[in-house]
Amino acid sequence: MKLNQRQKARVLLVFSVLFLAGVAVAGVLCHDAAMVTDFSRKNLTPCLTYPFGTDWLGRDMLYRTLTGLSMSILIGVCAACVSAVMALLLGIAAAVFGKKVDAVISFVIDGIMGIPHILLLILISYACGKGLKGVIIGVALTHWTSLARLIRAEVMQLRQSEYILIAEKLGQSKWKIAVKHMLPHLLPQFLVGLVLMFPHAILHESSITFLGFGLSSEQPAIGVILSESMTYLIMGKWWLALFPGIMLVLTVVLFDLGGNALRSLLDPNSVHA
Amino acid sequence: MKLRKIMGLLCAVSAAFILMAGTTALANAEDNSVIVTMPTTSEPASGFDPAYGWGAGEHVHEPLIQSTLVRTTTDLSIENDLATEYSCSGDGLTWTVKIRDDVKFTDGEPLTAEDVAFTYNNCRDNSSVNDFTMLKEAVAVDDTTVEFHMNTPYSIWPYTMAIVGIVPEHAYDENYGWNPIGSGRYIMKQWDQGQQVIFEANPDYYGEAPKIQKVTVLFMEEDAALAAAMAGQADVAHTAAAYSEMNIEGYDLLRVETVDNRGINLPCIEPQEIDGVAYGNALTCDVNVRRAINLAIDREEMITNVLNGYGTAAYSVCDKMPWYNEEAVTEYDLDEAKRLMEEAGWTEGADGIREKDGVRAELTLMFSNGDSVRQALAEDTANQLRELGIDVKTEGVGWDTAYTRAQSDALVWGWGAHTPMELYNIYHTTDSGLAELSPYANEAVDSYMDEALQAGDLEEAYELWKKAQWDGETGITQNGDIPWIWLCNIDHLYFVRDGLTVADQKIHPHGHGWSIVNNVDEWEWE
Repeated sequence: MKLNQRQKARVLLVFSVLFLAGVAVAGVLCHDAAMVTDFSRKNLTPCLTYPFGTDWLGRDMLYRTLTGLSMSILIGVCAACVSAVMALLLGIAAAVFGKKVDAVISFVIDGIMGIPHILLLILISYACGKGLKGVIIGVALTHWTSLARLIRAEVMQLRQSEYILIAEKLGQSKWKIAVKHMLPHLLPQFLVGLVLMFPHAILHESSITFLGFGLSSEQPAIGVILSESMTYLIMGKWWLALFPGIMLVLTVVLFDLGGNALRSLLDPNSVHA
Repeated sequence: MKLRKIMGLLCAVSAAFILMAGTTALANAEDNSVIVTMPTTSEPASGFDPAYGWGAGEHVHEPLIQSTLVRTTTDLSIENDLATEYSCSGDGLTWTVKIRDDVKFTDGEPLTAEDVAFTYNNCRDNSSVNDFTMLKEAVAVDDTTVEFHMNTPYSIWPYTMAIVGIVPEHAYDENYGWNPIGSGRYIMKQWDQGQQVIFEANPDYYGEAPKIQKVTVLFMEEDAALAAAMAGQADVAHTAAAYSEMNIEGYDLLRVETVDNRGINLPCIEPQEIDGVAYGNALTCDVNVRRAINLAIDREEMITNVLNGYGTAAYSVCDKMPWYNEEAVTEYDLDEAKRLMEEAGWTEGADGIREKDGVRAELTLMFSNGDSVRQALAEDTANQLRELGIDVKTEGVGWDTAYTRAQSDALVWGWGAHTPMELYNIYHTTDSGLAELSPYANEAVDSYMDEALQAGDLEEAYELWKKAQWDGETGITQNGDIPWIWLCNIDHLYFVRDGLTVADQKIHPHGHGWSIVNNVDEWEWE
């Protein structure tokens, strides 16, 4: 059977969603098992019972990796959603409410984009007392800018389109125009932007945890796992870094592929491609 | 910090690869020099100035560059160094010390009692790491006699005299820490901050001439130290129990006994709020619970599990010290521990966790983030206490919040020093009526320690320190209030190059750094 591009995209999307949802749910289910320490099984190389091996506290790395990834996914999704909603509101506000508002919002966007991402993340997370709260606030506050800029540009363009101009002439309120006429048009862009924000959010969550500014070290977070494994790599304990690392990459790549598949499905221009 | 660690590891790994590729890079060419690695935290942040932590403070060791009035021997009693004799007046308020007259600083100037008095007065005014409030004034009576006038009697003054390096009054300014001049066994030749310090033997040293002429100290983390040893770039590389299984060709593992202990505090008062801070703990305010916990800790198993066997059981903060009371030893007895819990009314609930009057037997045990040994000890303690029916949750915390939270939760601490003052700092009450680090108060314990400080001589003081721990009726041991549970003393481990004989070590205090080179002058190459 030969699949056309749309069908391929659909398969890819379904696969990504299933995989990511599976990891997220499995991680939540084995959270308790991931916290168990058992010194009678420490430092085991991968085997049938422990496919990802165990670490120096005798923790099952498979459970830890799954839980860590699911925490990353949940944090990423949560933070990305907050971020995307901010982007949507600010983007529309910039485009609709006149020059002054636009100038202020554009300035904020430029300001935040001007600061290196990870630096700002660390600062915000640290200021909010690290931990889960710090990470979510940090990721949410740093990731909205590019999507906001995109939406602003889109709205600017829309404002000049005829049906909006007609609506204005008919005396509809700005708010009604924004919600009723612009939002439906923006939704596909917005959804794709949101999904493509997930991998960034996940990677940034694990990065700041890796650097010690995120989740605390008894948590089975993927950043904690990778930073701990550093100490043991020199002793040849490759499995502590390899499998969690591969799983992290896989998760991020699938989010990216899934997002792109979603884009091509939603984009009317690709219907006949 | 983390980045530096990563870079260090990368460098070290690449160094290891170079070695594997067939290069033989042997660091040590001459027979009278050594290269020693130390943790990056050992590098003195404020330079080599005794007033700002060099040799003193949290990590006690001999200052090498400077000499001290007295020093501690391998059994932690006191012997003369610069001093020829010392004595204390009957009321304990005046210490008179006579010093040698043949000692010169490395710039050629003689060391006199004036320098000694200057050093101590300077420490009293500026020391950022040690308590000198008991010292009123140090006075040079003549060139070789110095008198210490005290505010309060302080019988363990010799232990202070053993850590304060004497600095030259004529060459002391705010930059002294970076250009230290002393009269000790070594001269600091070069210091590349963040990397290494190089010492050379002092040719005019008044004592026995050092056998090792040049000492290079490299600051790096344990993983980098391991890589340095694998690459043959260090003669003595500090290491951790986790790495102890590694076999490095040309190196042997050296194990040094320590009083570098790890223990946990158990807040001894009912939960309450004082000045907005939570104090006390509903579970551990019950003395029977604390006794049961002490009985339920299987220290030998913990040492095997966490330290690969490289440790000794700890029952006090001062095991093996002359002021240690052996009554502290408590054998593992889970059945007795369970009986104690039952007797105190803590009965097992449906999930195996005990309860009393609606209070669930749960405890948060904190450890400092990133310290894998403390984390493992916390996890193992949690596992062992679960068998007793106590639900222990572990949590990694930073030191910014740990001290405050330890007032109401348990924390894994590291202690161990060559002075009984540590007992005082942990168990004696402060002005608030409670001990500073974890809420606890016992008048009898306080008064024994007060008496010990006022004792006429060290022997008498030792006895009183022991009584403060257990006097037959009350104290801080198992049959007493047991406000802290001590888990183990962590052996300090080193990979030592074959052919190098590291001289006998005194029991190391807390800190895996400078202690090893206390007697580097006596080391020998075959």
